[in-house]
This record gives sequence, structure tokens and C-alpha cells, in this order.
Amino acid sequence: MGSQPSNTRRRLRFAGVAAVAVLAVVSLVATACSKSSSSGSSGGTIKAAWIYVGPVNDGGWTQAHDAGRKYVETKLGAKVKTTYKENVPEGPEVAQVINDLIKDGNTVIFATSYGFKDAMQAAATANPKVKFEMATGDSITLGQKVASNYNEFYGAGEDALYVTGIAAGKATKNNTIGVSAPFAIPEVIRGINAFTLGAQSVNPAAKVNVVWTKTWFDPAVERKSAESLVAAGADVIFSHQDSPSAGEVAKANNLPWFGYDSDQSGSYASVWQTAGTYNWGPFELSELNKVIDGTWKQNNYYGTIADNFAGLAPYGSTVAAGTKTLMDAEITKAKAGKADAFGWYWGLADRQDQDGKTVITKGQTLTMKDLYTMSYFVKGTTGSPKG
Amino acid sequence: MSRFGFRLEPRSYLPKWLPWAVPVGSFLAALLVGAIVLFATGQNALSVYGRILDRAFLSEGAFTGTLISATPLLFTGLCAAVAFRIGFFNIGGEGQFVMGAIFGSGIALKLGVDAPGIVSVAAMVVFGAVGGGLWGLIPGILKARFRTNEIITSLMLNYVAAVIATYLIFDSNSFWRELTGSGAVFPKGKILPTGSWWPNLDFGSIVVPFGFVLGMVIAAWLYVLQRKTRFGFEMRVVGGAPTTARYAGMKPARIVVAVAALSGALAGIGGAADIGNFRHVLDPKGLQQSGFGYAGIVVAALARLNPVAVVFVAVLLGGITNAGYALRGPDFPSGLVGVLQGLILFCTLGGEVLARYRITRSVRTPMNASALESA
Repeated sequence: MGSQPSNTRRRLRFAGVAAVAVLAVVSLVATACSKSSSSGSSGGTIKAAWIYVGPVNDGGWTQAHDAGRKYVETKLGAKVKTTYKENVPEGPEVAQVINDLIKDGNTVIFATSYGFKDAMQAAATANPKVKFEMATGDSITLGQKVASNYNEFYGAGEDALYVTGIAAGKATKNNTIGVSAPFAIPEVIRGINAFTLGAQSVNPAAKVNVVWTKTWFDPAVERKSAESLVAAGADVIFSHQDSPSAGEVAKANNLPWFGYDSDQSGSYASVWQTAGTYNWGPFELSELNKVIDGTWKQNNYYGTIADNFAGLAPYGSTVAAGTKTLMDAEITKAKAGKADAFGWYWGLADRQDQDGKTVITKGQTLTMKDLYTMSYFVKGTTGSPKG
Repeated sequence: MSRFGFRLEPRSYLPKWLPWAVPVGSFLAALLVGAIVLFATGQNALSVYGRILDRAFLSEGAFTGTLISATPLLFTGLCAAVAFRIGFFNIGGEGQFVMGAIFGSGIALKLGVDAPGIVSVAAMVVFGAVGGGLWGLIPGILKARFRTNEIITSLMLNYVAAVIATYLIFDSNSFWRELTGSGAVFPKGKILPTGSWWPNLDFGSIVVPFGFVLGMVIAAWLYVLQRKTRFGFEMRVVGGAPTTARYAGMKPARIVVAVAALSGALAGIGGAADIGNFRHVLDPKGLQQSGFGYAGIVVAALARLNPVAVVFVAVLLGGITNAGYALRGPDFPSGLVGVLQGLILFCTLGGEVLARYRITRSVRTPMNASALESA
């Protein structure tokens, strides 16, 4: 006995909880509806959105992209309202993210990882009034059909790596440079080739050993690959990766270290040399200005050192003064050229691949298509360009 | 016995409304705790929840997006629910999902453009089930024959499956890999012939992916299998009391192997569905990033291992995932979305305990004891 009244009381209490729940849901719906009705177009402001594959504080690729977004925001002030979506997987989710952004009123969408490309192209066809900007895309260069409101942009990161290579060629004592690299794809291969040619331009005996990590971002794997390079005799390390974990290995062995994408001179001062970096902001700013003016057109942009798209992180304190002079001389040379000129060094001499076959003749200028399909390593490289 | 401690006592009776009230109450509690977290991080909880509701279910096309997010979770949820029911802790849904994706995409590519759509889709379902089933069979057999711990073996096989998928696209010129066009520039899979793309069923404003419909049918079938068949009865006995099962002449080892294969096959169909309905390409990186296999364990836990409830939980979590993309932004870190999802899980599992036990002061009074006896 005694269970009867308490049961009723419980039932009453449950009814109370249920009523509160219903109230809560109703009020939620009400707020949701009032929100969506108030969010219309907001006068002279354009809304632009960035889609990132990683977190905004990854210390590399995505952080550099977010610096671009902040730059745009500072420069345009009230004329633009920016937003971003971080950690977006490269799968069907991107399409959902793009739809959300369009629903929120964004009219320009920047996507910053190659795996977003197909969804961006599909969304461009479905939303002709929205501008789609795809970083690292290659469809236009390769002659594939895309909508006219879809654009691709990237830049000559390899040119910065050529200058970086000069420092590596000077720094090595046993002429063995170790490179820890993500994937055997043209973007990475051309970067390593430029790096090798830079090293050989000041040290013809320099050899470059490449180890593939098969990941953009995996600190443990990156560290292991750097350790294997050191074990194999490299006395200079370049990690073409998103995390600075190879820097730890370099620090432990006191070997000169080159990073990628970001300035890590603070944490690795004793071994830091420099890094090739990308400066996304100015291009994105000019695109948004064109959208505001109504002059925006698909332009398949490829940035250079001359227009400040590609550049170098600050030199480390252990880079010799003579080396700095050599590097600065190349940068001056690059900047003296036309703003859209890239790859001044490829055709300085006949270039052979690993098998000794001539792949570039003296005086030849490489086109974007040549760069986007590069699949050989130049002579002096150990490792397979097939991964 | 501590004077001020609390203890859990199994409930002596279960009111009818309790199994329903507890999940609902836990969910509301999660919203409440979530509101505190949101308030502490400078968000307006009401507008955040309103936005979740709007972007997950109400606004145009939102529910379709939710179903897209829910479909893989539905299958991996069923995968975990079926296995956990008999005490076989299959953590390998992730790897079985990937193997299903590999097998499913393989057969669609093999059949090519000339095969009728219905044949391709059916073959993908079968091959997905076979791929995932074989992968699930391994920890099943190891458990049945050598009593290895299935948590470890199934988990390890997840990594093996991920490496195989990566190998097929990044490290070899495999049948799955696209070598022409932009595939020559960046490693990626061949796009499936459009005939083998799984259909979407159009109900006016809501588009339902075929994979989701298939998942619902399978969930209903599993419900019947578990409740109404001899095999289901044996599963329940093996799960609840293995020794009893043996005394009753059942063969627990055989049931473990069968359920391991079934569980893997469910995840495998999910992998095939993910590719057939949405991805249309074997994409190792995308599969790895989404982590559907692990999320399926959460789905199964929230659904209390009930296959029909898995459908609803998958839609709920799919909705939150889908809305999560809308929430993320400069003033809303993606981690906060994870916090909200975690809170819902935490509160629901906590509620589960409250449903089965009641909290009493550890100091026993004679009245308490007599109440317990009389009940």
C-alpha cells in the first residue's frame, strides 16, 4: 500500500514536465520563425563565407586562410560581413554546408580544400547568383566545363620553395637534405622540384631524399618520417606538412629545419630557417571589391611572389648572412618581373628527371598546365614521384 | 555505510510511462544544461536552439539534409544495437562501414554504365553487406573460437580497413582509382556510373534517400527477428544469460558468429548506401573524417539497442549534425556543437540509470526496508 497515492503524484509530476516541454518547444519554434523572418538582405553589405577543412588554429593551412578572411574584414569594414565553417569534412556534408551558407544570405563563398571542388561546382550551377571561389582548384586550367559564376585561385608556392631551397643547399654539410612530404601529387611534386633546383643552384652536389607521410596533418606520423630522414643521414630537414612536429626532431638533433605554411620561428628558434607561405587576403579582397562593383568575372588566378601572394616566413637567426643575400636577390628578381610571372628558374638550364631524361629545355617557360600535371622528380632526388 | 551517502536501488516496479518519460526528460535536461553552457560562452540559448530546430527540421530542404546525415548513422546504429544486444561489443562498425563502401563501389564500377540501375543498386546492397559482413566475421570467429576480446580486435580492424581504402585511392593504381582527367592531378576515386546512383524518393517538399528507406525496412525486420523468431529468442538468451543458453542446448558460439556477421553486414550496407546515395565515389579521407561507425555506437546506446528506436535517434542526431554546420562560425566554435551533442548523450545515459534504479539515502530506515519488502 502507499504506492497508489505516490503513483498518482508521479503521474501529475510527469504531466507537469510534459507541459513545460511542450511550452519550451513552442517558444523555440516561435523564436525560430521570428528569426528567419527578420533575416533578410541587409542594405549595402555583402555577405561572404569561408569553408575550412581544419580548425582555424591549426598552425598552418587553415590558419593562413582565416588570416585572409580577417584581412578582408579589416579592409572592407562595414561593406562586408564574413563568416566561416571550420572542420568541414570533404564529403557530401560540404553540399549541406554550402546550402546553409546560401540560406544565411552569403553571396560569395570561398572553399579552401581541394576535396570541396565537386560540391562547389554543383552548387555554382544550382545557384547562378552566388559567386563560388575555389582555392587550389584545377578544373579551369585543365579545360573542364564549369559554370561562369565559379572561379579557381591558387599561386606559385613553388617559387617560394625555390628560394627556400637556396638556404637548404647552403646549410647542408654532407649534401643530404631530407624532405617529409604528404602526397605524391603535382602540387607537392612541383614544390619539391623547385626546392631541389634552388638547393642545386648554390650547391650542385646537394641531394634531396623524399619520404611520403600520406597525410596532410598527423603530427605523430610527420615526426616519425623526420626521424627516418635523420637516421638515413639527412643533416637538413624540410617538412612540407601542416604541423610543426618535424621541427621537434630537428630541435632534438640540432639540425636546420624548414617549415611550411606558417612562421614557427618562435617555438623553434634554434633550428628555424624559413618557410614558404601563402598570403590569401589581397586576392580575396580584390575579388570582393569586384563583386561590390559588379565587375566580377571568372579569372583562374595564379598568384606570384611579385604580387605578394607567395612569400617567405621570416628567416631564422642561424641563416648565414651570405645566404640571406642570395635569397633576397632571387626575391628581388621575382618582384622585378611582371606581377603574373612565375617560375623564372625552371628553364635556366636543361633539366633532367631521375632517369636522366630531359624534361625541361633551357629557355622553356612552364605553363600552369605543365605545373598542374607535373609528375616527375628532377635529378638529384631520391624517392618515387608515384608515392 | 556512510551516513550521508546515496545509493542506487534497483526499481521494484516500472510505471508504464517511465520508459518514455526518461528519454524525453533527459533530452530536456540536456537542453537545460546546454543552455547554461551556451549562456556561459556568450550565446543566446533560445536563438541557438531555434536555429537548430529551423535548420534541422523546419526550413526548406532542411529535413532532407537531416535524412542525409541520418542515413549512415541509422545503419551503424543498427550494427551496434544488434551486436550489443547479445553482449558482443562490436566497436568495428567504422571498418565494416568502410569495407561495405569498398565492396559496394567496386561492384557498381564493375557493372559499369550498361547495367540497369535496379541491378546495380541491388548488387551494391548485396556486396556492401558481404564486405561489411566478412569484416565483422573476423572478430566474431576470433571471439567464438579463441575467446579474444572483440572490443580490441574489431577496433584494430577499423584501422586496417582505413589503410586498405587509403591504399586503393592514394597508394596504388587500383580499379577504384580515377587515373584520367583531374584524377591524374590528385588521387581520387572513379565516380560511379550515374545509373548506379541510389534514387531519392520525392514526397513534395521532402526528399527521402532510398538508403534511409532501406534502413527503416531493415530496422523493422530486425525488430521482428529479435521479438518473434527462434533465432531472436536465442539471441536474447545468449545476451542475457550465456550459461542458461548452454544448458538449454543452444550454441552461443554459433550465435555470436552469426550476429557478428549480421552486425558487420548492416554497417556494410550503410557504407554502400553512403556511396550509392551521396558520395558516388570511394573517398577514404571523407569516410575517415566522418566517423560514422563510432557515432553509431552512440545512436545504439541512446536507442537502448531497440532497432526501431534507432531510426528515430538517427534522425535526431542527424538533425543536430546537420544543424551543427549551420551553427558553426566565427562566434560559434565547432567544438561547442560537439559539447551540445555530448550533453545529450550524457544526460540520456544518466537518465537510463534513473529509469532502472532509484536513488535512496544510504541510511536505511525501517520504513524504507519494509516498503522494499512489500513491493
